[in-house]
Amino acid sequence: MDVLLLDIVTTAAILFIVASGLMIILGVMKLINFAHPAFLTIGGYAAFVITQLGWNPWLAVPFAALVGFLLGLIVERVIVRPLYARPLDAILATWGLGIVIGQVITIAFGRQVQFVQTPISGAMEFLGQTYSTYRLVLVILAIVLAVALTGLLYFTRFGLNARAVTMNEDLARGLGIDSTKVRSVTFGLGAALASMAGALITPLISVDPNLGLPWLVNSFMLVLVSGVSIPGLMVAALILGGAQVIVSTYVSAILGGLTIVVLAAVILRIRPRGLTSG
Amino acid sequence: MSDGAATLEISALTSGYGEAIVIRGVSMTVAPGEIVALLGKNGMGKSTLLKTVMGFLPAREGKITLRGHDVTRDPPHRIARQAIAYTPQEQAIFQDLSVGDNLRLGQSEASWFEEELARVAQVFPFLKERLGQRAGTLSGGEQKMLLIARALMARPKLMLVDEITEGLQPSIIEQLTEALAVQRERTGVAMLLVEQNVRFALNVADRWAVLKLGEIDDAGKSDAHNAAARIADHLSV
Repeated sequence: MDVLLLDIVTTAAILFIVASGLMIILGVMKLINFAHPAFLTIGGYAAFVITQLGWNPWLAVPFAALVGFLLGLIVERVIVRPLYARPLDAILATWGLGIVIGQVITIAFGRQVQFVQTPISGAMEFLGQTYSTYRLVLVILAIVLAVALTGLLYFTRFGLNARAVTMNEDLARGLGIDSTKVRSVTFGLGAALASMAGALITPLISVDPNLGLPWLVNSFMLVLVSGVSIPGLMVAALILGGAQVIVSTYVSAILGGLTIVVLAAVILRIRPRGLTSG
Repeated sequence: MSDGAATLEISALTSGYGEAIVIRGVSMTVAPGEIVALLGKNGMGKSTLLKTVMGFLPAREGKITLRGHDVTRDPPHRIARQAIAYTPQEQAIFQDLSVGDNLRLGQSEASWFEEELARVAQVFPFLKERLGQRAGTLSGGEQKMLLIARALMARPKLMLVDEITEGLQPSIIEQLTEALAVQRERTGVAMLLVEQNVRFALNVADRWAVLKLGEIDDAGKSDAHNAAARIADHLSV
């Protein structure tokens, strides 16, 4: 039972880390970033590069975040910004971008499966169980990430500006807020979070050019169920991630893989605006 | 700022929405510390003029200068940063943000907040006790006061105020009249008020102008004995 509980909590933490970048971009920019899996993959390969260089594996996290942020700024400027007035086209453009990034990664690193060095290996005693130390560390990192994002959005001027732009962009501009800059930094931040997530999950999975793809649908469903809020995403990750673990453990791993989508569809049928929307 | 420059100078301005021309060759000035009221019936282009000055609508022809700087092609955020406080007629506050956050958004420098809040709270004392309250839960009159307070938080040189008295009871309008007069006296802020309330406009403003079908149809000083009658004549059906 305790192992099941730890599986649920650590799975929720992983899902939260993976989906947070998608949520930030959707929340502030009203844009579904279909390039999210590509940025996860970039993070995975950033970790792979660090492993190849023989550097401390923890460096993969800031390195991936930096690469993701800079690429995100470029992508926003070159691809997304010209399409702000055509939101559907912007979404399709991010989808196309994801394909391009996947191809570029394939050309650069090949199709073969790669592995990265784990920053922390082994297991530790926790709640009377022997459990993966790295997965437990991911829980702490998810909490730190949630606190940091909450702090950024609710206790900084950038966060206030971003919330103002989200609520009423014209009014925000009339108050001197450069909404273009807010959107640009937000996209960079979302891409950085996705890449960082990619670097963090690679010790648990292998690295290949399609690393990020399986996470897209689940991340999207989590964000929708969350009502696009940080506490909502934490709750959604716990409920949906927990259900996935239980179904995978007691019923079937294949059905477990479908659990998040099915349960999210049911929740959205009952609460179309998500868990935390009035 | 150029010496002796008007706070706002609009020269032969033409603008509108898409193919429709709404403002036709309007010229007007607002001097430092001066309050000018722009009156007119609905649909005559008053709000359109303010939106054009703020950069929300492109000027087809003409020129807009703020304290000597040409801002005709500038985006709204850059214009707002020139100490211009704009209070639109609709959707003017962030309903889901707190009163405090709405006030903070009026400022570009966070370090001024306590100092400016103390100054603004002298005029609107209720704000200080309601900083954590969601702005959308304030009454209509309180929301209008929050709007003016947010504008004042920016230490503006010019306020562009769009129909602030709409839907307000006379006692609140009186409070606003006093508040605007006091602020002008203390800070020397200039104002361009778009109004339909003639009495309020003449009480607050130094000069008035009537906009009709996108053109200045008449203008005068507020203290002229026949000002109210002339304006009423223009506004009558």
